[in-house]
Formats: sequence, C-alpha cells, structure tokens
Amino acid sequence: NLIPPTPVGPHFTECISREQETFRCWWSPGGFHNLSFPGALRVFYLKKDSPNSEWKECPEYSHLKRECFFDVNHTSVWIPYCMQLRGQNNVTYLDEDYCFTVENIVRPDPPVSLNWTLLNISPSGLSYDVMVNWEPPPSADVGAGWMRIEYEIQYTERNTTNWEALEMQPHTQQTIYGLQIGKEYEVHIRCRMQAFVKFGEFSDSVFIQVTEIPSQDSNFPFKLALIFGVLGILILILLIGISQQPRLMMILLPPVPAPKIKGIDPELLKKGKLDELNFILSGGGMGGLSTYAPDFYQDEPWVEFIEVDAEDADAAEKEENQGSDTQRLLDPPQPVSHHMNTGCANAVSFPDDDSGRASCYDPDLHDQDTLMLMATLLPGQPEDGEDSFDVVERAPVIERSERPLVQTQTGGPQTWLNTDFYAQVSNVMPSGGVVLSPGQQLRFQESTSAAEDEAQKKGKGSEDSEEKTQKELQFQLLVVDPEGSGYTTESNARQISTPPNTPMPGSGYQTIHPQPVETKPAATAENNQSPYILPDSPQSQFFAPVADYTVVQEVDSQHSLLLNPPPRQSPPPCLPHHPTKALAAMPVGYVTPDLLGNLSP
Amino acid sequence: MPGSIRPVSVVWVVLVCLLFCSRLLSVGAAPICTNAQAGCHALSLANLFDRVIQHSARMHGISNDLHSEFEQYFLPSKNQIGRVSRNCHTSTIFTPNGKENAQRMARQELTEVILKLLVAWRDPLWHFHQSIAHHHDFNNFSANKALEMSDMVHELRKGVEKVAEKMQMMGIISNSVSSLASPEALLPSDSAEWRLMKDYDLLYCFRRDSNKVQNYLKILKCRIVPEHGC
Repeated sequence: NLIPPTPVGPHFTECISREQETFRCWWSPGGFHNLSFPGALRVFYLKKDSPNSEWKECPEYSHLKRECFFDVNHTSVWIPYCMQLRGQNNVTYLDEDYCFTVENIVRPDPPVSLNWTLLNISPSGLSYDVMVNWEPPPSADVGAGWMRIEYEIQYTERNTTNWEALEMQPHTQQTIYGLQIGKEYEVHIRCRMQAFVKFGEFSDSVFIQVTEIPSQDSNFPFKLALIFGVLGILILILLIGISQQPRLMMILLPPVPAPKIKGIDPELLKKGKLDELNFILSGGGMGGLSTYAPDFYQDEPWVEFIEVDAEDADAAEKEENQGSDTQRLLDPPQPVSHHMNTGCANAVSFPDDDSGRASCYDPDLHDQDTLMLMATLLPGQPEDGEDSFDVVERAPVIERSERPLVQTQTGGPQTWLNTDFYAQVSNVMPSGGVVLSPGQQLRFQESTSAAEDEAQKKGKGSEDSEEKTQKELQFQLLVVDPEGSGYTTESNARQISTPPNTPMPGSGYQTIHPQPVETKPAATAENNQSPYILPDSPQSQFFAPVADYTVVQEVDSQHSLLLNPPPRQSPPPCLPHHPTKALAAMPVGYVTPDLLGNLSP
Repeated sequence: MPGSIRPVSVVWVVLVCLLFCSRLLSVGAAPICTNAQAGCHALSLANLFDRVIQHSARMHGISNDLHSEFEQYFLPSKNQIGRVSRNCHTSTIFTPNGKENAQRMARQELTEVILKLLVAWRDPLWHFHQSIAHHHDFNNFSANKALEMSDMVHELRKGVEKVAEKMQMMGIISNSVSSLASPEALLPSDSAEWRLMKDYDLLYCFRRDSNKVQNYLKILKCRIVPEHGC
C-alpha cells in the first residue's frame, strides 16, 4: 500500500486503546497548514451500535497533542467506530471514514518490573541460563480476565542491535538459555493481546551480565581426591613398612633381577667387584674353576653335537682347503696352527639366560678386561688360508718365542667351550691356522701381517704397558681337546695382555691338556706362521665366528665398532683413535655402561 | 459343518456385544458429579472453566487466521472495518460492550449470552464450510479450518452447557430452565439473515463474536473461581 506522493490532507494518524476500555485518536492536518491551528479540525465519530446512530463530536479534545480521548463511558468494545475529520464549515476531509473496533486497536502498555535471576551456570563455566520475570502492565486488567496478554522477550548483546526474540507466551516469566559468561546483554519485553496483531511498546531495558566466579565446586573434588590419594599412600607405606611381610614386599616391590652367574655369588656381580669375580671365574687358580667347568660343559648337550661339518656354508671358499683343514684338525701331531679364538678361558661362559651373552671372564685379565673369547672351533670348517687368523699372543709371560698354538676343539667334556663367544671356523689354513669366519678373511689377512709383527713384538715385550694400555687385548687361547679325536692342542692359552705385575700364565688361562699329550711341536712350529688370533684385533675373531655375541673393543675413526681393533704397534700418534685405555677395564663379554663411554674414538 | 457353526457364531456375537455394550455403557456412565461419588468424574468448576476457556481461545485463533487469510486474498484494504456492509446476524443479541457492563451483568445472564452466541453460529459456520469446500478458490487448508471452526463451536457450546450445569448444581446460578432447555428458542426469528451475508462478512462477524465469547467466559471465571490464573 504505497501512499501516493500527493499532498496529504488532514487525516488520522492512529487510534490506540491501551486497555480495551478507553482509546485515543490522533490526527494531523497534513499539508494543509492553514488548518494546523487548534480548533480548525474537528473529530466526529459514529458508533454503529444501533441502526439509527449519528455522528457525534469528540468527547474530549486535547488540541496540543491533536488527540481525541474517548473515556470509558464512550468506549464500547466490539462495536464499530467510524471517525471523521471536519473543518469549520463541516467539510469532510477524509475520503472514507476511518473505522475500527476497539479490540482491534488495542496496544497494551509494556510490562513492568522486569528483572532476572541466575538459574545455573553450565559445567564448562562458559554459559548460563537466566530466568526473566515481570509484571503485566498495570493498565491492563488481566486479573479480571478482560485482557489476555502474551509477551515477547527480546535480548541482544549490549551495544548491538541484533535482537533475538523468544517465543511468545502468556506467562509472566521466561527462561533465556545459553547466555555467555562475561558478555553483557540487554533485554526488553513487549506484549499484545492474544490472537491479535498489534504489539505494544517495548519496556525499558534491563541488563544482564554474569562474570566468572571461581567456583568452589571445582575445588572440592580436587581436595577430596588429594586427601584420598595421600591417605592411600600412607596406608600403603604402613603396610609395607610395618608389616614387613616378605610376600607383600614381593608383590609391592618386586626385586630387580640381578645378574646371575650360576654358582657365583650375585654379590660379586655387582658393580666394582670385577676382581673378585675374575678370580673366582678363573677358578681362583685352577681349582675353582674346574669345579665349574666340567659341570657346565658336561651338561651341555649341544656341545656334544657339534660335529665336523664338511659342508659349510662357505664351502665355496673353503673347498680347496677343506681337505687340508679336516686333516689338520684330525691330525694331532701336526703343528697345526689353528686359528683359535680362545674365548673364555674359564668356563664361565655358559649359556645363561640372564646375561645377554655368555660372558667369558678371565679373572687374570681383570685389569684389562678384554678377554678375547674364543670361538668354538667348529670342526670341519674349511681352512681358509694361511693368514686367516693369527692368534697373537701377547702374553708378556710368554717366554718362549713360540707362538702358542691354540686349538680349541669342542666336544670334550673338558672342552673349554667358549660359550661366550662363538666362532665358527670357516677355514683351516694350511699353516694350521683356523679361519674363524669366512667373511672376515680379508680383514684378517690385512691385519694378519701387522698382527704378526705386533705379536712378535709383543711376545717379547710383554711388559709394554703402553701397549697394553692401548689395547687391552686379552684373550686366551684355549686348547681344548676333543674327545680323543686326536687333536693335540697346545695349551698355551695365555693371556695376551696383562699388566706386568700380574702373574701371567698360570692364572691367565686355563689350559686343558688334552689326553694325548702329544703336544706337538706345534707350539713351536707355529712360530713361523703362527696363525694368530690377532690379539690386537680380537674383533677379528669375533667377526667371523661370532654369530650372536661379540665384544666391542673399539670404535674407530669412522665410528664403526671394532670388534677386533686392528693391531697397531705404533705409538699413539699413529693411533690417535685407538684409545685403548678405554678398554682397560672392559670385562670380557660385557660392556658396562661406564665403559661404554670409553668406546668412543 | 454348518450345524455346529451356528451356535458358535451366536456365542461369538453375544460375546462381542457384551464387550461392546459394556464399553458403551462405561463411557456414558460418567456424569459430572458434585460429590466424589463412585463411578463419576468429579471435575472441579475451575477445571471446567479452564477447559472451555482454552477451547474458546483456540476457536478465536482459528477464526482470526481465517479472517486474515480472507482479508489478504480478497480484501486488501487498509480499512478493514469500513467494508462491513451489514451488521452481523448476532447483533440482535444483547451483549455487554465493555468491561463494566460485563462485570455488572448477572452470571446467569452472562452465561445465557454466551450460549446464545454459540448457538447462533452453529448453522452459519456449517454452511460456510460447505461453501468453502466447494469453492475452487480456497485451498484445503482453509476448508479444514472452517470445518474445525464449525466443530469447535459445537463442542464449545456443549462445554459451556456443562459448566452451566455444574454452576447450577453448585447453586451459583439459578435453575432457569428457559435458558438451557431449548437453546434454539434463543435464536432470533430472522435467523436466516445470515444466509445473505457474504463469506467475508461472516468471518468478520464470527471473529468478533468468538472474541466476545472468550472474554465473557474469562470474566465469568474470574468472578466465580478467581483463584486459578486470573
């Protein structure tokens, strides 16, 4: 309904009833300014309550406001009213009468006494609900049932005009849900008659704001939990401390498994007691150990089952030597220089479940702690070559120039099986040396010569403490006699590196003299060739044979772990990266954490 | 075996009848009682009033909706009243036109007025619904509303009669037989006037009258049982 832009004449702006008992009408002169003075226009109304009703003039004028007020006596509901504006000369200015019924022009007054109460705060502490309540407008006679009003609440954030309207309802209270903590809200309300269209004016706004309150509730469970926790701990401590029940202690504080070596007091295995352990392991002399060794090795079934295997994996390499190897192995009188890795001289190396590897621990070597362990000489391993392994004996005590010939054979009850370090013999050199690992041949060959030299030197100068300190190559050459297979082994298991002061030989190694004491002249014979297990490179023996276990002796410049560091006689300048000192205290088979640091090049 | 079926079927029929009739009887056997006698519902007067008031409010709402629809489609004029060409057929019924008038009127009279109004609209609304239903201009929604409106008038009248009965039993209003016995007697003689009304006028008149009924009922309630929600 667009109002045409023609000059508008006098007209009624609006008629409103506030309580359905009285009503007011306002008019405007429009564009006719000559009619704006008071009294220029007059209001006439027609009340169609009877067929012959007439036009009457406004019962009560208010010229200032241009308002015509109809009081209770002149107001009738449900009866059509028609209004007219007339000029002084009874000129009617309206095209058509302005007609209405009172119930249709009701706009109730706004409700009063608007206020709010906090209902609750959400558990997250971010939002809350509010109950808003008010009173119906006093002018509306709701109590008598004359007016039935429904209310509409609107709210918005303060200083915004994004009003949100709630659903209309006839009660005098309503809940606003989901207001946010910290924000300020503005709320106002208006009302209208039920089933009618026209709303009254909005009430004055009230403001709602709830700031964060540090709730006590959140602390409460925390305190409770704290108290309970402390109580529980106290009870536990009481239980443990007072009762001292071994079973309970077992359950609550299970003991940490300690290293075990069968037959050895765990006390000795604790840190710092290597000396004693060494001593014991070495048998305290021969005697002690022997008590162990036979038991061990006799009980080990696997020992018995190692047999000469002519079909080695590396048969290709060793084929050529195979025959000779075998022969050598089987031929006791030959000065076979077997490559031997003497592993644990003491038969401490038994497979133990506790330890990661069977540790060969030579008490004599306790200072140096690098017991080289001997791999079991697996019979049948084809001989590799001359210079596969060299066992270099560094035992200062070695008076004889001969190189010890070391043979180890598995399978005997007295076999010193180096259960700690397994060396698989892949080849037997013509000279009698035993290649312990085919893969490491080259390596050994490389260092063989050097090793030989070194060994020679060492053999003489065992008191070379510097050397010793540099490389704690200790190993023992075990000579083990298989069950009368005819091997003669030179029981020159010696410790290669020992401090000068330590009594060498006797305690150094265990030599099991094989029954057929046909110690060959091999002991001497090897001098020349002396397949040595490089003392300096104990790792060599570990390379080949050790399938699972080995000892890291050094870490070279390339940060590779040298299981048998290449033998270097040269003074430190040449070997800046062989801090053998570091290896000083390394126990055979173990690298304790404090020694680990020593491994760094 | 037809021979054995007959007695069986007879038995079935008897059983069904018993069930059905017992249900019917039980439904009918619930008069409004003043005392909490066994076997009848004792609804309070306030409760009854609330029900009829709600009903009348709903009726008025529907009439308002229909009227707005009509106005929207057929008479989009800013001045809705001016178009009323003739008076409503219920104009002859004397109704209080203001609050004081309604409050001053005797309860019995007021009740009678209400009943008169409701009775007067029963037929016109029915015909209105019929005319709308057959008129292609109106959708089903409007026709359904008209039907609902017509039914509501009927129901509301019964409800108000029940209220009046209760009030009579309670002694609030006198036992005036003429007011309730034959409501049809209350109709003005020229009741056929409504047939001449146009649909829109009819709606307009009904909207006004439903508002009247609603108001009168509310006033009556707040005068008689003011304790609940006045």
